[in-house]
Amino acid sequence: MMNSAEQSTGLQLDQAGYRAWEGQPRSNWWSCLSIVRVGLMLIFRRWVFWILIGLGLLNFLFHFAFIYLKATLAVQNENIARFLDRYKVTGTGDAYAEFMFAQATICALLLAFAGSTLIGGDYRQGGMIFYLSRRIGRWHYIVGKLLTVAAVVTIVTTIPALILYIEYGTLSNSFQYFLDHPRILTGILGYGVILAVVQSLLIFAIAAWVPRTVPLVMTWLGLFVLLKGLADAMRAIDGNRYWLLLGLWDDMHRLGRYCFGSLDEKKIPSAEYCLAVLSAVCVISLVLIVQRVRAVEVVS
Amino acid sequence: MSNEHFPVPASSVDAPSALIELSHLSHFYGKFQALKDVSLKVQSGAIGLIGQNGAGKSTLLKILLGLMVPTSGGGTILGRDLLRQRSELRGRIGFMPEAESLIPGMRGVDLVGLAGELSGMPRRQALRRAHEVLSYLELDEVRYRRCDDYSVGMKQRLKLAAALVHDPELLLLDEPTAGLDPQGREAMLRLLHAIASRHGKSLILSTHLLGDIDRVCGQVIIMDRGTVLGCGRIGELRQHWQGRYRICWRELETRTDKTGSGQSFLATLRRMCPVVSPTSRESEALIEVPAGWNNLQFFEMATQSGVILSDIVPEQEDLPRLYHRLIGTEEVH
Repeated sequence: MMNSAEQSTGLQLDQAGYRAWEGQPRSNWWSCLSIVRVGLMLIFRRWVFWILIGLGLLNFLFHFAFIYLKATLAVQNENIARFLDRYKVTGTGDAYAEFMFAQATICALLLAFAGSTLIGGDYRQGGMIFYLSRRIGRWHYIVGKLLTVAAVVTIVTTIPALILYIEYGTLSNSFQYFLDHPRILTGILGYGVILAVVQSLLIFAIAAWVPRTVPLVMTWLGLFVLLKGLADAMRAIDGNRYWLLLGLWDDMHRLGRYCFGSLDEKKIPSAEYCLAVLSAVCVISLVLIVQRVRAVEVVS
Repeated sequence: MSNEHFPVPASSVDAPSALIELSHLSHFYGKFQALKDVSLKVQSGAIGLIGQNGAGKSTLLKILLGLMVPTSGGGTILGRDLLRQRSELRGRIGFMPEAESLIPGMRGVDLVGLAGELSGMPRRQALRRAHEVLSYLELDEVRYRRCDDYSVGMKQRLKLAAALVHDPELLLLDEPTAGLDPQGREAMLRLLHAIASRHGKSLILSTHLLGDIDRVCGQVIIMDRGTVLGCGRIGELRQHWQGRYRICWRELETRTDKTGSGQSFLATLRRMCPVVSPTSRESEALIEVPAGWNNLQFFEMATQSGVILSDIVPEQEDLPRLYHRLIGTEEVH
């Protein structure tokens, strides 16, 4: 016989109406999109990250306004337009490469802090248990998290560059600009992919092994700043330009410029070397990620 | 707080297939053998998983959840192969871990909805179901609050909601009452009982608290150092203690020397029976009678001593004693 308390609880439960779910489960790969959505929500809901996002937005708006100003002034006075052409907001490959480089720098700073929230938190606060005890496997989790970081990078770098490209072409006298400069579109997309792939793999690997915020920020920034410093120093000592390959940030930029067709191919290190170094970094990062994302950690 | 027991009975013995059937399951971590040739068969219902630290409970849970492949052996859960249908199995199992497994910054309803999506539910259905489950677990008023702001009891219920959202057939619960105050523990146990008994969910309750298992589970798996020492219905595993009774008495109203009558009865019991242990209650003792004992002798002794017998209950082995007997640390009573 149940006592009154149990009857009361039972009554509440029955009134609440637990119902069975009889739908058909979707493919596990759909879950990657859920992981991306939640990851973006976690970043865009925090005002701290908006300081850096705002900085990127400011840079974008400056370029946007500058292109508009140039287009307006060019109608009135071509000399002013030519004067403004001196600045790298002119719709050339170089200009977009520089814009994306600036945006990517802001994005790297954003990821230094967001990496701890997106990935490090899963190790520190049990998110990993939450994800891996569901139907999805570790590859779905990995792909979901990589896509999240890639989406952040794309939102901050590639999409603004594409908008500027469309704006510049639209505000030209004709749409001939798009036909004359197809390489720019390739460049924007190519540089965007390079930034997204390398940064997402790197931040995931680092955050998985160094999940706490401060060490993560130090490692992440150290990887770019210290390596660049080391590369420059070694080159100065040794005179060998291949030392420059150590600077991962510059490697990405060189490869980006190659996509825009504005890299001096005669210079060493060439795009092929940069691609080789970045590919190696990506493979190592992936190995580190797979090692760290282990389902057996779910039940400790 | 009620002390009643309400174990959920196992389904009938001749059920078509067992809930879990493991055959010669072994697992090694390097050279250390965490599971040693585990074979067991349990029917659907509420099942307790007991064992000390290092007994192999967590390893067994990982294998049941399809997160780990055993070194050797195999088995089926819910009629599905443990080795080949691991992802599908996780879709039919809900897991409530002991450790905090929440995503800071997320609202309760979003978190439970995400759990549903990760279990294969479309977003809309997952969200609707999250609202339903949160209402069911009486978290509807705090569903829009960030989960890091929840109390310990709320977090436990939220974890249960995330485990329940996709309507699993089997729930694996790792220490579900850990960190709860007595009231919260009571509520959680009632909830688990309701889930198992009213909605036909099977559950495996892994805990150190034997009382929790005694309250909710009808079956038990007792593990020690990687081996299963006992598995089955608690009632069947209990040792039949023949000749052990809990006996209660009270003094006759008409007798003037009331204090002496009880002592006199106790002294007579001690003379006649090999084991007589007064309990903490007044006028109550646990006794073991000699062979060939006739229970009518109790009444004769009571009449002679001037007391009335109010209760004679055959003593049964309780879960703690059963556990200690099986792992070889039997307490002396």
